[in-house]
Amino acid sequence: MKQGLKTTSLFAAAILSAVGMVSSAALADDAKSITTVVKISGIPWFDRMETGVTKFAEANPDMAISQVGPSTADSAQQLQIINDLVAKGTDALAVVPMDPAIIEGILKRAMDRGTIVVTHEADNQKNTMVDVEAFDNAYYGASMNKRLVECMGGTGKWTTFVGSLGSRTHMQWVGAGEENAAQSPDMELVDPNNESFDDANLVYEKTKELLRKHPDLKGFQSSAGNDVLGIGRAVEEAGLAGKVCVVGTGLPNPSAAYLDTGAITAIGFWDPQKAGMAMNSVAKTLLEGGEIVDGMDLGVEGYEKVTVKPGPGDGLLVFGNGMVLADKDTYKDYLF
Amino acid sequence: MRRLDGSFVLLVTLIVVLLATGGLLSGGTYLSLFNLQSMANQVPEIGLLAIGVMLAMSAGNGGIDLSGIAMANLAGVASGLVALQVFPVDDAPVAFTILFVLGCALVGLIGGTVNGLIISRLGITPILCTLGTQMLFTGITVVLSSGRAVRIGAPGPLYELGNGYFLGIPWSFLLFIFAATVLGIVLRFTPYGVKLMMTGANQKAAEFSGFARARIITVTYALSGLLAGLSGAIIAARNVNVKWDYGTTYLLIAILIAVMAGVKPDGGYGRVVNVVLSAIALQLISSLLNFIGLSNFVRDLAWGAMLLFFLFVNRFALVEHFADILSSGRPPRASKP
Repeated sequence: MKQGLKTTSLFAAAILSAVGMVSSAALADDAKSITTVVKISGIPWFDRMETGVTKFAEANPDMAISQVGPSTADSAQQLQIINDLVAKGTDALAVVPMDPAIIEGILKRAMDRGTIVVTHEADNQKNTMVDVEAFDNAYYGASMNKRLVECMGGTGKWTTFVGSLGSRTHMQWVGAGEENAAQSPDMELVDPNNESFDDANLVYEKTKELLRKHPDLKGFQSSAGNDVLGIGRAVEEAGLAGKVCVVGTGLPNPSAAYLDTGAITAIGFWDPQKAGMAMNSVAKTLLEGGEIVDGMDLGVEGYEKVTVKPGPGDGLLVFGNGMVLADKDTYKDYLF
Repeated sequence: MRRLDGSFVLLVTLIVVLLATGGLLSGGTYLSLFNLQSMANQVPEIGLLAIGVMLAMSAGNGGIDLSGIAMANLAGVASGLVALQVFPVDDAPVAFTILFVLGCALVGLIGGTVNGLIISRLGITPILCTLGTQMLFTGITVVLSSGRAVRIGAPGPLYELGNGYFLGIPWSFLLFIFAATVLGIVLRFTPYGVKLMMTGANQKAAEFSGFARARIITVTYALSGLLAGLSGAIIAARNVNVKWDYGTTYLLIAILIAVMAGVKPDGGYGRVVNVVLSAIALQLISSLLNFIGLSNFVRDLAWGAMLLFFLFVNRFALVEHFADILSSGRPPRASKP
């Protein structure tokens, strides 16, 4: 009898101590808790978001604030995490959905149970109280184009790239860009809406073609995250760095080299750090029984005067002014 | 006397330990009715897939079913699209639900039969065949749904299946246990079950004994497909929406559950009850880690460690070994002169 009991108890002890070692006292805490659930953990974008969540946690030491996310990009894994958090009794969830449609059910159950639900990057999420977006899409597209027109001196041929023609936000961005460019009569749009499929190599080839077809092409506005890299490379190889203007969505770290040489004029993006803080700020306001109203200050840079609109469900859509347009001189503030 | 089942003992111990640990660490929340229900609600979709993997593994000859989750998604999407055409969700919720669930089962059965026929008649290795059909099923699902999520909606009975309770137990969990019980009985007491395990243990011997090997294999993969179809119905019922890329990680987790349950990867042995327990144990671990708020990478690590531990214990039959020592009251070697 002895030996068998020994293995069993050894086994039990091993598990108990393993779990005990890593678990802090956080579990049985009475403090209000806000948990941010991201699409996938361990990638630069959401690591950057976590710095924001950590900052917010430091500013609110009386609350239990943390960020979690699945280790693989799978909506089913994110769903499980949310399920467990709701069962655990987390007071507020700030979710960046992998797939808004898949988590509609659990978010509804969460709200029925009294959990506060805030989302981000999901302006089509029905079951949420507040969806926080970094900016209005039209504003983002127009701002990038303004920068482009300024760089081109308001004159010359320009073209646009989108991830795909089916990508709603990208089409909104270039659409707003075209509207903005129309104010400058000398701006001539040629071969617009090239599809990039977010593939830097494909964009590189297409840019070379475009530059051959229009030797006097002076400007590019791009949408998907890798587009600027392909354009930048083609422009640099053609010896046109600084002579052709390139403005598009991009991330600071990968774009750094091209920004330095002038092959990319400026990159637009939103800072996930600030978005994470904004979500938590909204969640905190709701936890304290406050209301989200038009023009309010979330206490986060870029979200000082938010626009509030009715969302697709019963919830609200909150737009910040959180776009960042970084160039050679400023990108170093946002290295991620 | 029946031999002691080491995996069974180990899994039951693990579940008890996990429940106790969770209760202790969370100050009781982990053992609250709500969380137990929430966890029970999460098990069926992956559990059904794992039983499918177990069936395929038991059939031997490198048997495995990689097409499970792809099939589940296909079943949900295809059946959903058809049912939405036939019945208006809001006007005829009962008819819609019945048609949808039967449709899911039918799609799964057909897909599984295709797998079985390819493997048994064409003699294609199961891993290659099901890898191919996995991509095929995913492809069809993408085309049918144009890559978007399909909204099944939440008609009364279907929502009840995904989120409702009977005597405090989730319906989906009851369905899972029911399916598992039926299969367990079939495997244990019917000629098909006995022949399946024997075929898995020794293909040649089975063939020379006059077993209809092709039919046994086909039926086995068809059953695996049927379970995947049911899993698809439960996924739709839980999430209201179905999509082609849901649960891409389930493929490996289902295999993990089957191996942890002591199913022999080279065929011939596997118990449904162990797969059920194994699925529950994995759910308990992952929920526990989520409760503590640990990184999900730790969960992967814990699962990996667990898998190796179980493989080790099963390989050397440690539990049985200790049980022998116990019953004889002294170490076996002591009896040698």
